[in-house]
Amino acid sequence: MNLFRSEEHVARWLEEHDYEPGRTLRAGQICELANAWWADRLDPDWRPHTREQNQAILERVGLTGPFWLLT
Amino acid sequence: MDDRDLARRNRIYAQLLELGRAPTIAETGADPDALRRLHDEHALVLEPDGSAIRMLAPFSGVATPYRVQAAGREWFANCVWDAFGILAALGVGGHVSATCLDCGDQLEVEVADGRPKPDDLVAHFLLPARRWWEDIVFT
Repeated sequence: MNLFRSEEHVARWLEEHDYEPGRTLRAGQICELANAWWADRLDPDWRPHTREQNQAILERVGLTGPFWLLT
Repeated sequence: MDDRDLARRNRIYAQLLELGRAPTIAETGADPDALRRLHDEHALVLEPDGSAIRMLAPFSGVATPYRVQAAGREWFANCVWDAFGILAALGVGGHVSATCLDCGDQLEVEVADGRPKPDDLVAHFLLPARRWWEDIVFT
């Protein structure tokens, strides 16, 4: 997942590399996702997230639909 | 993941925080089979030949264009999601530096209270979620 100046820059990069577009998120939404996904990673009692837990995190930050399905 | 592997994983993450970088394979003191199990369970990512730790997500074991300044140190992240993830994992604000892959401009983001400034930069997910682990380095 790469950071770009704007959606225009994403479109130009996709075209240059002949990549199919995926999904573009604003920095604030990525930050929100990162907070939910990674916040417990250094906890001493950390346990691996289940797929269902991770899917629920994606849903909680509004990432729904086939593109965001983990399976 | 059984309790012994979980303990191994937690020791390796503790070493990361202590050293400010991913430990070498020798520094982990773990046998190759145990590290391979952790790799297979996505608890860490080894280089293809098993010679080093490539990722202790969200931290990177190698230098990348995603740099994070936080808690008095500089860290490397695997991608922009992980860059913000390092701040989330450390529970601190900080600064993320990256390069726009299109124009090559340096992008600078300050994060405080879980919010980025500026917030008009964008991130692109090329692959759908079900394919993220097909090649996690590319993802």
